[in-house]
Amino acid sequence: MSVAAWICLLAPLAGAFAITLLGDLVPRRVAGLVATASVAASFAAAVFMFVTVLGLDGEERQRLTTAWNWLSVGDLDVGLSLLVDPLSVMMALIVAGVGSLIVAYSIGYMAGDDEERRFFAYMALFVFSMLLLVLAGNFLILLAGWGLVGLSSYLLIGFHHERPSAIAAAKKAFIMNAVGDAAMALAFFLLVYETGTLDYLTAFERVDGLSSTVVNLVALGLLGGAVAKSAQIPLHTWLPDAMEGPTPVSALIHAATMVTAGVYLIVRAHPLFEAAPSVQDLAAGLGAVTIVVAGLIALVQTDIKRVIAYSTMSQIGYMFLAAGIGAYANGMFHLMTHAFFKALLFLAAGVVIHALVNEQDMRKMGGLRRLMPRTWIAMLIGGLALVGMPPLSGFFSKDSILASALATGDGYGYVLFAAGLLGAFLTGVYTFRLLFLVFGGEPSGFVREHLHTEHGEGPRWMTAPVAALAVLAVVGGGVQVAGIWHPLADFLDSIVAVDRESLALVEPTVTQDWVTSILAVGAGLLGIGVAWLIYGARRVAAPRMAALRNPLERKLYFDELYQAVFYYPAVGIARGWTRFVEGPLIGGSISGVASATRELGRGVGHAQTGYLRTYALAIAAGLAVLAMVFVSVR
Amino acid sequence: MNGPDVTWYLAVASILFATGALGVLLRRSPLIVLLSLEIMLNGANLALIAFARQQGDLDGQIFALAVMAVAASEVVVGLGLIVAMARRRLVLDVDELTTLRG
Amino acid sequence: MLTTALILVPLAGALVVWLLPWSRFAAGSIALLVSLVEVGLWITALAGFDFGESGLQDSARASWFSDLEVSYHVGLYGFSLWLVGLTVVAMAAAIGYGLWAERERARTYFGLMLFLTGAVVGVFTAQDLLLFYAFFEGMLIPLYALIGVWGGRGRQAATIKFVIYTVAGSLLMLVSIIVFGLSQGTFDLVDSGTSDSPWLFLGFAVAFAIKAPLFPLHGWLPDAYRESPPEVAAVLSGVVSKAAVYGLLRIAIAKFPEPADDFRLTILVLAAVGLVYGSFLAFRAPDVRGVIAYSSLAQMGLITLGLFAGNSSGLNGAVLQSVVHGLVSTTLFLLAGGIERRASTGELASLGGLAKGRPLLATMLMTVGVIALAVPGSAAFAGEFLILAGVFDQGWVWAVIGAVAIVLAAMYVLRLISAVLHEREGSAVPSEALDLRPAELGLLVPLVACLLALSAWPAAVTDRAFSDGDVRTLQAVQRGEEDGSAFLAALRDGDGWAEYAPIEEDAP
Repeated sequence: MSVAAWICLLAPLAGAFAITLLGDLVPRRVAGLVATASVAASFAAAVFMFVTVLGLDGEERQRLTTAWNWLSVGDLDVGLSLLVDPLSVMMALIVAGVGSLIVAYSIGYMAGDDEERRFFAYMALFVFSMLLLVLAGNFLILLAGWGLVGLSSYLLIGFHHERPSAIAAAKKAFIMNAVGDAAMALAFFLLVYETGTLDYLTAFERVDGLSSTVVNLVALGLLGGAVAKSAQIPLHTWLPDAMEGPTPVSALIHAATMVTAGVYLIVRAHPLFEAAPSVQDLAAGLGAVTIVVAGLIALVQTDIKRVIAYSTMSQIGYMFLAAGIGAYANGMFHLMTHAFFKALLFLAAGVVIHALVNEQDMRKMGGLRRLMPRTWIAMLIGGLALVGMPPLSGFFSKDSILASALATGDGYGYVLFAAGLLGAFLTGVYTFRLLFLVFGGEPSGFVREHLHTEHGEGPRWMTAPVAALAVLAVVGGGVQVAGIWHPLADFLDSIVAVDRESLALVEPTVTQDWVTSILAVGAGLLGIGVAWLIYGARRVAAPRMAALRNPLERKLYFDELYQAVFYYPAVGIARGWTRFVEGPLIGGSISGVASATRELGRGVGHAQTGYLRTYALAIAAGLAVLAMVFVSVR
Repeated sequence: MNGPDVTWYLAVASILFATGALGVLLRRSPLIVLLSLEIMLNGANLALIAFARQQGDLDGQIFALAVMAVAASEVVVGLGLIVAMARRRLVLDVDELTTLRG
Repeated sequence: MLTTALILVPLAGALVVWLLPWSRFAAGSIALLVSLVEVGLWITALAGFDFGESGLQDSARASWFSDLEVSYHVGLYGFSLWLVGLTVVAMAAAIGYGLWAERERARTYFGLMLFLTGAVVGVFTAQDLLLFYAFFEGMLIPLYALIGVWGGRGRQAATIKFVIYTVAGSLLMLVSIIVFGLSQGTFDLVDSGTSDSPWLFLGFAVAFAIKAPLFPLHGWLPDAYRESPPEVAAVLSGVVSKAAVYGLLRIAIAKFPEPADDFRLTILVLAAVGLVYGSFLAFRAPDVRGVIAYSSLAQMGLITLGLFAGNSSGLNGAVLQSVVHGLVSTTLFLLAGGIERRASTGELASLGGLAKGRPLLATMLMTVGVIALAVPGSAAFAGEFLILAGVFDQGWVWAVIGAVAIVLAAMYVLRLISAVLHEREGSAVPSEALDLRPAELGLLVPLVACLLALSAWPAAVTDRAFSDGDVRTLQAVQRGEEDGSAFLAALRDGDGWAEYAPIEEDAP
């Protein structure tokens, strides 16, 4: 199993190296094939690990494998270790599985691009980084994976580096993630100082002995990193801009994997969070806020990818909510189903964009229903799954989260539940707004002019993964049906690192499940209905509501806020210091020394009068002094 | 030993030396400065010989001879410089010759 | 014997290059060959080094002035072995660059470079204070000539500033050396004891603070780095600055434990200020060299934080970060040189779009850039983590400042990368500018390979900088059983400190 873990991790890295070293020597297509093959190999290894883990039970289900000692911090040795347990295996399956589908899709999407090879190298590097993150056996290796994921994201968002907007978006993403990295690093320093270890298992054992301030600070630092990586409010502004990257990048990184890393972290470090309940509540709260705010902003977006991006933010809010209330398995379940249908949505949107010669503005689209029927079906499935319509996967996962919120029993839980329901309604509205705008009505002028579907809706490399994901989006929910069977929850139970039987902190009753499902489906249908009224049948005009719409269109002014608070002051400080500190320091000190020396020289120079008699007098006087000294000393 | 006491010789030597020193410090013409320098040297020579006579040691007289040789060479150089200055029509006034002023 | 060879081979090579009438290419090739032989010698030393054993290894001693107890005494510790390794590798790369760049007056140039190599290795291995001083000053002469003759337009002013600053510091150090040596009765570092005089400590500390440089004594830095030829800037920033690190560790901290403790807070403050200040200034520097120069200032502040953290984590981090930063700085300056050759300028406003059609250059700059900004997983991150974890002991404030610096580093490195590589082709970039040539690759790839290897296995350096005995002592320090001076006493005792036994009985 250890070998499988290393193969799973290193296959994509080997792929990336191979593509980089081979460079121009191989045709572009080969680069894509190498990348896909390496990620597929990773998936195969992950499946192997999964099967092996299934065969074991309880305590046996975790295996730590260390390659060598990576770093020693005082007494503490941090090894390059991988942990194979149900949680990491599940994440590895999702990352490698969905990843291989998306990389395969990219072969079609990126065909013809000059820099195709670079793209696939970066994608393989990304998969490696993400696997390092999820398979890590201690916090430092996790942080290494965390940082490398951020790096890969930067490289991929800024792939079209001639575009200033892409570069700006890439930098923004990296720097916001760096803020999260710094917060996590601080948490780790504190952890090392207080517990002397960064290994998961040992650290969790020692959590009890820590003071509540320390645990809260550590958990807060981890939450900071998670919020930055998962683009939750308030560190969310990088995600919509990240849509500058090619669509497969958005699908892989900004839907299925990287942005879910924050959720993974909270689940992985759940003993820490459970020891800091206020931080855990904060996580749930931030999730709830993000669900609603992101949903609202999605309503006014005109770019097809940005709608899906905000939708991602919103859905991850659900996962944070789940992790925040202790419904870890439900959160992971939604992570999985979301990976399926969100990737599906992005990839299908990519098919549309590809067919419309890279146009992403929904206002120019319309009527694609008949012109691209297969894509329409795919997006419809994805959209329904997203809204949570039974019997698609999203229904099972999202409702399990909402039911858990209801099951917490306290006022806070009810507030979270309400937020989740509101989110379901908003999801219905924005999702079907998208579907109606793009696929509904009559083909727009732009579409008639530019749509090229002579060779089918898209190359085989693109349509096949879309189909696969559509299937997964439909059946994926079968893994866990509330109240009836829950193999996923059982599978994950063994990762619980504190003394209790089941991982989840809350278990909804059957009644709560039913109530939740009815309410959630109802909210979703209501949203779909509203969307149909406004965008489908065009019976009602979209309300103007400038007071609400303008802030939403400006994304609640977060960008402006961050510019004002961080960027401009940084530039100002740098400029100020350069002028007022560095200038005088460099120039001033030296010219000070120079002028002092010159003055001293000038002062001493007064003794050189040029007159013979002065010199003669000096000689005489000096001699006299010497003689007197000589005589007196003797 | 007959003749005046060493003291008288020393007195004459110091008068010579002082006269010469004053001349070096106070006179303006380089030629006169050079002359005064010679007087100083002669004063010193006299003192040397007087002491040599008193000690009965010939070292002082040898030293005085050496001084005379050096004085002669130095006068040659000095006079040469003065002639060179005169030839270039420089003012023969040490107060005016201050090119080396710092 | 090996240590003496490490010092003498480049010096002998310098003489050979100077004295005999070689052509430009021959002189350069010989110099490169000598530097590669030097690398080979170092690898031999590495292979033969026993990291478990404490004390000086590969040492040689010969009496010089016996009445003052001054001797030629050289040897290697774990951490100095790594610093010597950095030196020989970086100098080899720099000499290679000089050969490729076809420097004028080749014999003088290569002779000076080899002489510099010998002098720096001497600094890292000297165990006698006067010998140390001789090599320390010996570094200055070739640098002065290299910058003053082969430098850029403002080289005169830059050299003068550089020399004045350095010599001022060295004079202070000389006074301290003399007083210390006379009071101890010997000038030997291994034999002499410690002193608690704050003035002597300051004499050394100020000299090293100027060399590093440490804020606010960095006035010579921007001009020197801008006006030097690229490979000399690489050596200045990558190698010569580490002489200051070595000096602080081996002399200032080890010989003056109490004053080091007394001044700890001041130095930590200055180091932290330098870290933040350098990062901010790098963020707005208008040219490539400016960014690298101020980033160097910041990194030296970080390393100093580690040195004065007072525990093994900080010290190991400082050693690792010294090696990593040395390699990174060398690579960055060599790349900057390549960029300046192609675009005739280093001004960021005129650059841009170099990534298009030049994948090797882009990959190289990106790789080094992300290592420079200490992306988690890189060797620089390992060093930074160790340092900040170590300095956390002194107070959480330092770690927070360090965390802020992490974000700032991301900002200035990404700005540099984008300004050079991305967006539209800059006004100074000729579209026919070539990608990295094989010669350039030959220089840069080994450096980057070392960095990647260290990123995969940073413990190679950190586990082997201070021997087990040191570590046991340090563990006792951290357990509170000893105070900080114990470790440094162990360093001080050198050969004889196997007798330093107190914790041997309850060693874990």
